[in-house]
Amino acid sequence: MSKTTKTNTQLIFSGIFNENPIFRLALSMCPAVGLSTTVMNGLLLGVAVLFVQVFSSCTISLIRNHIHPRIRIPTYTLTIATWVTVIDLVLAAYVPVAYKQMGIFIRLIVAFAIITMRLEMFACKNDIGPSFWDGIGMGLGFLFGMTVLGTVREVLGMGTFLGYDLLGFRPMLFFVLPAAGFFTVGFMMAIFNYAETIYKRQKRS
Amino acid sequence: MKEIIKITIALTISCLIAGSLMGGVFMITAKAKQQSEYMNIQQSLFGLLGYDSHHSAPPGLELCHLYRYIVEDESGVCSGYLIPVHNGAETEYVFVILNQTGKFVTQFHIAIQAEKLMNEADRKTAIKTAAGPSKTIRYADDMTIVRTGNQRTAYVLMGNFSGFKNFIHAMVALNSNFGIMGMEITSHEEDPGLGGEIEKEYFKNQFKGKSFEGLQILTVTKDPLPEDYRRYLETQKWQRRRISQTDAEVIGEKYHGADIHAISGATISSVCVTQGVKQLVKNFAYRIDLLDRAIQENKIPAAF
Repeated sequence: MSKTTKTNTQLIFSGIFNENPIFRLALSMCPAVGLSTTVMNGLLLGVAVLFVQVFSSCTISLIRNHIHPRIRIPTYTLTIATWVTVIDLVLAAYVPVAYKQMGIFIRLIVAFAIITMRLEMFACKNDIGPSFWDGIGMGLGFLFGMTVLGTVREVLGMGTFLGYDLLGFRPMLFFVLPAAGFFTVGFMMAIFNYAETIYKRQKRS
Repeated sequence: MKEIIKITIALTISCLIAGSLMGGVFMITAKAKQQSEYMNIQQSLFGLLGYDSHHSAPPGLELCHLYRYIVEDESGVCSGYLIPVHNGAETEYVFVILNQTGKFVTQFHIAIQAEKLMNEADRKTAIKTAAGPSKTIRYADDMTIVRTGNQRTAYVLMGNFSGFKNFIHAMVALNSNFGIMGMEITSHEEDPGLGGEIEKEYFKNQFKGKSFEGLQILTVTKDPLPEDYRRYLETQKWQRRRISQTDAEVIGEKYHGADIHAISGATISSVCVTQGVKQLVKNFAYRIDLLDRAIQENKIPAAF
């Protein structure tokens, strides 16, 4: 993949739909399955990933000409770890309420495949502008995926939405368990693929 | 060979940049973080006393912080208390040293501003300068005396005791008769899901309402926690479908003198917390009595 030809809007939309990290690229499945038990978890993790993705993409695209090709991956990891630590410290100091909820998730982001993959595939070949919009698109895509998964699992598993009692009973307790994460991701992938086929068929006719 | 040197240099430089960036951010945020941690402690302190966003604290409420230190010199080990005193309208600080049996040894004036008092390092330096180099000083714990008007209404103890692996830090609120008003675990390193459950409501709220006399004979039982008692203890969890006031009173009465029900799979942690809280309250009641007597005998104008 060489320099991108997409416009900024296209970059954002492709991050959310065509190349959605969870449903299309099937990356970062561990957090997607493990932490999407409630809408709140999904939202918070999505926001944290969005920030780290944007900051790391911008940094890498700025210094991409100075990175020795043999040590690309260590440099990416270092960049991500630095931004994660910075965000962790800033949140702990100035937004303690949110930090109490998000603290454990933020440190997990260092190991997320989606961020490293985006740096390797996109940021190290493009200028800072497209990299920024790609980071936003990918972050929003992850946020969208996590929120959808969280909504499905929280409503079906616990009968609540954002902690508010919606149904008054628990329809399927199974959806809170980790195994249900795979089921939900699978169903969502199927829906996305089906939507794509229909979209393509309409475009052709 | 040339390439490996290039790689080494490149990696070293990037690590240095990353390190200095993180260090810089840490230096900027450290103070704000300390402040927010302090606010957190204040919030749980008021929470234990029963004041929150719905029930604000009465206007006459006064908090006096006392810091206890272990003082060692050639004559032996003593306890030192950093206490606020009245000097006209001003509040000043005095370090009172009592020996093992509670006899008054000496007191000296500590020059420290109220803002600096929160910081452990600043406090220690101030005490060290006043006490002289012959004494070694070690921080032990601190307590807060809550007053409304001229009456002591509650005490809040901050203390630690050993848990399953490492120290458990806890906060215990007592009423004026040394009965427990509430207990909060501030930090611990117990296993998540097992000993980590000590911070859950169904465990920590079991201490609520135990009297000083009842606490002395309190033990840990391995019987399962009755369902109605659990429902009664988990007030936060069931906030939206709360049990009625009369039901709560009946259940509270029924289990008033009950022993602490151990967390299944974490008996050691449960016993540690129970013994720790017992010891904490017992020591406090003994110490505050000695301190009060010393203050009275030496006519120290203490602010509590």
